[in-house]
Amino acid sequence: MSALSRRAVTSTFLRSFLVQGSWNYHTMLGTGFAWAMLPGLRRIFEGDPEGLDASVRRHLDHFNAHPYLANVALGAALRLEADGTDEQTVRRFKTAVRGPLGGLGDSLVWAAWLPTVSMAALTLWWLGLPVWLVVGLFLVVYNAGHLALRIWGFRIGLRDGRDVALTLSEARLAQLGERIKSIAALLVGVLAGVVLAGREGLSDAGPLWIVPAVVCFAAGLKIGHRAWRPAAVATVTAIALIAWWGVLL
Amino acid sequence: MSIVLFRIDERLIHGQVVIGWGHQLRPDRYAVVDDDLADSAWEQDLYRLGAGTADVVFATTEDARGRLSEWRDDPLRTILLTRDVTTMGRLGAGGMLAGDRVNLGGLHHGPGRRELLTYLHLTAEDEDHLVKLAAEGVEVSAHDLPDAHRVPLETLLEG
Repeated sequence: MSALSRRAVTSTFLRSFLVQGSWNYHTMLGTGFAWAMLPGLRRIFEGDPEGLDASVRRHLDHFNAHPYLANVALGAALRLEADGTDEQTVRRFKTAVRGPLGGLGDSLVWAAWLPTVSMAALTLWWLGLPVWLVVGLFLVVYNAGHLALRIWGFRIGLRDGRDVALTLSEARLAQLGERIKSIAALLVGVLAGVVLAGREGLSDAGPLWIVPAVVCFAAGLKIGHRAWRPAAVATVTAIALIAWWGVLL
Repeated sequence: MSIVLFRIDERLIHGQVVIGWGHQLRPDRYAVVDDDLADSAWEQDLYRLGAGTADVVFATTEDARGRLSEWRDDPLRTILLTRDVTTMGRLGAGGMLAGDRVNLGGLHHGPGRRELLTYLHLTAEDEDHLVKLAAEGVEVSAHDLPDAHRVPLETLLEG
């Protein structure tokens, strides 16, 4: 087994929360990555200052990924270093893993989880729940998913090292994102219904509502699949609609 | 004509390509041309993770030169990617890409690289390769996302 102690591993995990702490255009997550690795690297290279120096330097290089899923790379890099993997392999691993981790994280968190939980919170607020409760629920639910993803990612990285691809593909994160997005789509419908039902006098508008509904449906059908982040766009639209309604009525 | 995009991007299969370009071009396949990756199964597994439902094939530069016409005639829509300018230069040598459009995506900063755009840093050797490609009838331009401004090679090198 490796030189990694439980304490060093925990310390690296805790530091991972600040992985974006010195984000910049040149190295992006690079500096934060090296800083998070440091407690683990200090254990691995105990009594070998040159080795430590070289390993910190290679982890300072450019790295980018989704901040939560970067933990997969952090865990795996720690495993690789602990196993004495050659520098070239460590570099190649980080180069190959950053794209998928960025893409999967974007589609799962930014395009699905965040807008869906926001949409649910908006719906609850519109149903009349007090603001503090809505905000509290939002923070608890959102961060439960956030923390679960970080912990899971770090663990599979640490366990599988270079071969983490299999576990990642079996987790079907992209499909999970799609399912979450369907919930968001459902919530848009619920929210629209709740908003309309909550406004007196609107029921008299009658068939007029069909016009914007058809326009929206057609627009969604035509350009929805091309939207960069469909669920996020829908959330912003919902918020804008509510704000507009508030001003108007 | 079924290679829908030739792109040089050191990140290969990633968000800008899969979502930015992929949603518009709807590729069935990503052809990654790279001598090192062509025989590295564990790296291929990692890159495949980002491709969604599209197929991913890896080929050496030599291999790819032989398969270009096959990919062109194939009804499957292919996005062809290399992660450096040299590979695209070698792929296109001798007019293999004449009449095609090569897209420069993300090439990050590094020693000996000149910043031409925020997402584009080239070595002198890279610039030579691109000028040579252009001389052989390839339309070279920087274009990170479909909706972004496209900058032709001449304008890039002037700057």
